[in-house]
Amino acid sequence: MSLQAAEIARAPAIRRGALVGLGLVAGPVLLLGWLIIYPIFDALWRSLTIAGPEGPQLSLDTYRFFFSDSYSLRNLWLTLWVTATVAALLLAVCLPISLYLRFAKTRLAAYVQGLAILPMFVPSVILAYALIRTIGPNGAVDLLLNAVGLPRITSPYLTPWGPIIGLVWDNIPITVLMLTAGLGVVSDNAVEAARDAGAGRIALLRHIILPQIGNAVLVALSFAVLGVFSAFTLPYVLGPASPEMMGPFMSRTFNDLNDPRMAITQAVITFIICAGFGAFYVRSVARGRARRT
Amino acid sequence: MDRRNFLAASAAAIAAIQMPRMAFAQDGTLYVYSGSDSNITDFWKNTIVPAFRRTGNETRIEVVDAGDSAGMRAMADRALAAMSSDADPQLDLMEAFDPRHPAGAIDQGLWVNFDELGLENAERINPDAIDSPYSMPYRGSQVLLAFDTSKLSPEDAPTTWDELTAWIEANPGEFIYNRPDKGGSGGNFVRRAIHEANGRDPSKFTLDNFTPEFAEESLAPAWELLAALGPNLYQNGTYTAGNTQSLQMLAQGVVTMIPVWSDQVLQAIREGVLPEDTGLVQLQDLALAGGFSRVTIPTNAAHRDTAIELANFLLSEEIQTAIIEELGGFPGVSWDHVADELQEKYRLLIPRSIPTFPGGEWDAAINDGWYRNVAPGTPRE
Repeated sequence: MSLQAAEIARAPAIRRGALVGLGLVAGPVLLLGWLIIYPIFDALWRSLTIAGPEGPQLSLDTYRFFFSDSYSLRNLWLTLWVTATVAALLLAVCLPISLYLRFAKTRLAAYVQGLAILPMFVPSVILAYALIRTIGPNGAVDLLLNAVGLPRITSPYLTPWGPIIGLVWDNIPITVLMLTAGLGVVSDNAVEAARDAGAGRIALLRHIILPQIGNAVLVALSFAVLGVFSAFTLPYVLGPASPEMMGPFMSRTFNDLNDPRMAITQAVITFIICAGFGAFYVRSVARGRARRT
Repeated sequence: MDRRNFLAASAAAIAAIQMPRMAFAQDGTLYVYSGSDSNITDFWKNTIVPAFRRTGNETRIEVVDAGDSAGMRAMADRALAAMSSDADPQLDLMEAFDPRHPAGAIDQGLWVNFDELGLENAERINPDAIDSPYSMPYRGSQVLLAFDTSKLSPEDAPTTWDELTAWIEANPGEFIYNRPDKGGSGGNFVRRAIHEANGRDPSKFTLDNFTPEFAEESLAPAWELLAALGPNLYQNGTYTAGNTQSLQMLAQGVVTMIPVWSDQVLQAIREGVLPEDTGLVQLQDLALAGGFSRVTIPTNAAHRDTAIELANFLLSEEIQTAIIEELGGFPGVSWDHVADELQEKYRLLIPRSIPTFPGGEWDAAINDGWYRNVAPGTPRE
């Protein structure tokens, strides 16, 4: 059989394969359209229109209110600040753990990995009450400090640092897992070669490791940021009454103030900001794909 | 295990978990959803339900804790959605829910109108407790001040608003109340401040006299009072996120005094969460506001008639007595319908009336006003 004939013979098989592939993808895509894409446009529509005498009319009043209301803006700023702080702390905490997990070859590393993943299995409401018991006023940390004659800590409970500590703890597993996976692309050969050439630890990190895992860092952080931005339980239980993060603020606007349209407007604004981080993630993934093919 | 096996196994596991729910969805159980704290759901499970079954009704009753108002709202949404599709909402009675939610539910006929039912026991209801024809009050609760007697002796406990604020100022960091929308103990402390700023006259506020202008005029001075207290509260003005968290602060010895629900603090003392000698005091110039809890019944409930029967039973002497004696609560019926010896016994503990504050549009105005004017406090750098 000539090469051309083989191509022709394979064509229907490919087409059938493509159909099966499309069929497999169709389910998730339809679900995405129904549960995510449609609600987004529905929310956008509902926040932008009000029912007038002759059908819906375009109105930007809720957006105008949000961006001229110092209380709402303060909540948005707090959310952005908490998110940025959590992202920075996560990187500071998780990168060393991931580096250790990547390069350590001992049994201990397995236990460290297990410990790092533990927060994934602790529901955030349990975590919130546990944190009140430990770092809260007269909590375990205070008792320990008191036992050795040290002054009490200024408790982060009911300040923005309460949810920050909780959110960092909560996001450690996913960040560590993604960074460790990202570090997989760094080959032992490259590291050893650099070491042979006399590179110190810092130089190794700066010139060999970081350039290769930039993408993984971006992906891990955008994941964490998306979760933190819309966090509810930890800011609700551990955070201050005011300013509040967008999650509790939206819920309060919807439930207490019975103002669904304003709540949807807040949700759309939150969503647009998150979509920015989402775009980062999608771009990184697409770039990663392009490089591999 | 390879990935395919793993996927198959987890799908099977999920199906197995879901199975009982699907199989027993229509098992003739009457579902009561409660938006109250766990002392109330315990009271339902251990007292109300067994007593109701003793009257000869064999219906299985499941009492579910819906968490908070958001959880209750979600259930009401489900009932409303079920109405348009003629499905079973799996929800027969809601405890502590405002039938004004979800928007439009009353117009669409979601809630049973108690005025039209003419319940046998309806005439016993305390008229002050009635809020809407779509809800039926059955118990009340008042807010008290609870304090740590190891730090404040009962003789020195404040008994008027002025003494209380003077005490807070003299003891910075020793008082905390929860956010008004996250539990009634803080909410009613805030309402007491509103009464204080408006001549201590609860009759000034009614369900119908709400206007944004009147709210602005009457609430603004209360925000000033409360904002002035801020710097002397725990950590210069922080507020817990619920009744339970406030109790936790008192139990851990962090603060000396908190506002509490009477029934909740009695249970906490009974269970040893708070010490036996926890002090309780009510302000004598005007009590802290309390509130009534009401039940609502969806018209499309699968067990609507039994739920109505149960609602009527809540007003019976048996349950009302249990509310006073076991729950430490306040009856939903007028005092004339409470046994004489009981009236005598609890005369000192339970006042003849509790000042109440209307709900409806006032709630949103108070919550939002508090968050905007009191919670931010003076800017702390």
